[in-house]
Amino acid sequence: LRLCSTRGALDGVNKPVIDRVIRVDHAGEFGANRIYAGQMAVLGRSTAGPIIQQMWNQEKDHLKKFNELMVAYRVRPTVLLPFWNVAGFVLGAGTALLGKKGAMACTVAVEESISDHYNSQIRTLMQEDPEKYKELLQVIKQFRDDEREHHDIGLEHDAEAAPAYSILKTAIQLGCKAAIFLSERI
Amino acid sequence: VVRCQLSPPQRALQASAVLRRVSDEQKKEPSASSSQQQFDSHPTDQQPEQEPQGPIPSYTGQGGQESEDYESEEQLQHRILTAALEFVPEHGWTAEAIAEGAKTLGLSVAAAGMFHSDGSELILHFVSQCNTKLSELLEQEQKRVQLGEAEKKPTDQFLRDAVEARLRMLIPYIEKWPQALSILLLPHNIPSSLNLLTSMIDDIWHYAGDQSTDFNWYTRRAVLTGIYNTTELVMMQDSSPDFEETWRFLENRVADAMNMDNTANQV
Repeated sequence: LRLCSTRGALDGVNKPVIDRVIRVDHAGEFGANRIYAGQMAVLGRSTAGPIIQQMWNQEKDHLKKFNELMVAYRVRPTVLLPFWNVAGFVLGAGTALLGKKGAMACTVAVEESISDHYNSQIRTLMQEDPEKYKELLQVIKQFRDDEREHHDIGLEHDAEAAPAYSILKTAIQLGCKAAIFLSERI
Repeated sequence: VVRCQLSPPQRALQASAVLRRVSDEQKKEPSASSSQQQFDSHPTDQQPEQEPQGPIPSYTGQGGQESEDYESEEQLQHRILTAALEFVPEHGWTAEAIAEGAKTLGLSVAAAGMFHSDGSELILHFVSQCNTKLSELLEQEQKRVQLGEAEKKPTDQFLRDAVEARLRMLIPYIEKWPQALSILLLPHNIPSSLNLLTSMIDDIWHYAGDQSTDFNWYTRRAVLTGIYNTTELVMMQDSSPDFEETWRFLENRVADAMNMDNTANQV
C-alpha cells in the first residue's frame, strides 16, 4: 500500500492502475517516436519518406497527449526512458537498413503489439469503471485506432515481403512485450 | 481487504490519512492534541484526497467517519499518537510518550501496547502529519497565486521556502529528532519512511510547477532530496538564533542546484 501526502484533485482514482497505464503508454509512444526517427534517418529521402514522416507526426501527437496526461495524473515516467531513447532509434534505423520493406515490417510488428496492448488496457479500464475513466478510455481507443491504421499501412507497403519477415516480427514483438512489462513496473 | 495485510506502522499511517475525515470529531478533542497545533494550518475540508483508494472500511465494516460515536482502531491509534506528541520533548519517541498520550485521552497506559516499543509508529505518524500540513500550505499558496492575491515565486525561492517551512515543523522536537532519524533508518521502517520522503519531495516539485516527463523528473527529485536531507542534518547541529545558519546553508545548496542546472543546459 503506497502512502502519499497528497495526490492532487484525483479523488477516487485507482492510482496504482492508472499509474501503470499512463507510464507504459507514455513509454510506448516515446519509443514509437524514436523508432520512426530512426527509420527517417535512413529512409528519409527515399520513396517511403513521406509515409513514414506522416506516421511519425501522428506518434508525436500521441506523445504530446501522454505528456499532458502524465502531468495531470501526477504519474512518474519510467526510469528506462534514456534506454528506450537509444533502443527505439537503433531498432528503427536497423530495420530501415534492411530496406523499405524491413522498415514496414518493423512498423507492422510494433503497431500490432501496441494495438493489442491498448486493447487489453481498454478491457482493464472498462472493468474498473468506464464512467470514471471515460476521457482516458476515449484517448486510448482513438490511439489504438491510429496504431491499427499504421499497421495496415505497413502491410500495404509490402511489409510481408521483407527479408526474414516472420523471424523479424516475432523478435520485435518479444522485445515489445519485454518493454511493456518493464515500463509498467520501473 | 487490503488493510488486514498492513503492518502496525503502516496502519498508523493509514490512521493519519483518515485524520481529515474525522476532523470534525477530533475538534471536540481535549486540549492535549490541540497543543500540537503550533502551526497555522488545520486539517481543512478542501484538502485534496489523500488516499487513492476511497473510504477505508473500519474493522466492524462501518464507514467510521460518520457522526457515530464508534471509531475504528485506526482512528483511535491516530488520536493516541497525536496526543503523544506533546510528551515527546520530555520522554523522546518512546512507548512512555505514547502511554502519557493515552492517559490524556482517558485511556489506560496499556494502550501503548498497541504500538511497537521503539516508537516507530509515533515518528512515522508525525512525519506523515507534517507532510500533510506542508501540502496544505502549498495548496493554499497555489490558490492565492491563482486568485492573483500573491506573486508567483521564482523556483529557487519556492523550493527554499517549502523546505524551510517543512523543517521548521521539527523545531519543537529538535532535541529528540536525531533519535527519530536513526529509528527511521531501521530496516523495518525504511519502506515507509522512504515512501513519505519521496511523496513529500514530489509534492514540493508539483507545487513548484514541475512538468517534466523525461529523466529530469528523477534528477530534480534526487537533487531536492539531497538538499532536504543535508539541510535537515545541518539543522540538528545548528545553535544559531532561529537557525539562521541552516537557512543560509539551504539557500546556498539551492543556488548550487540552480547553477548546475544552468551549466547543464548550456552544455
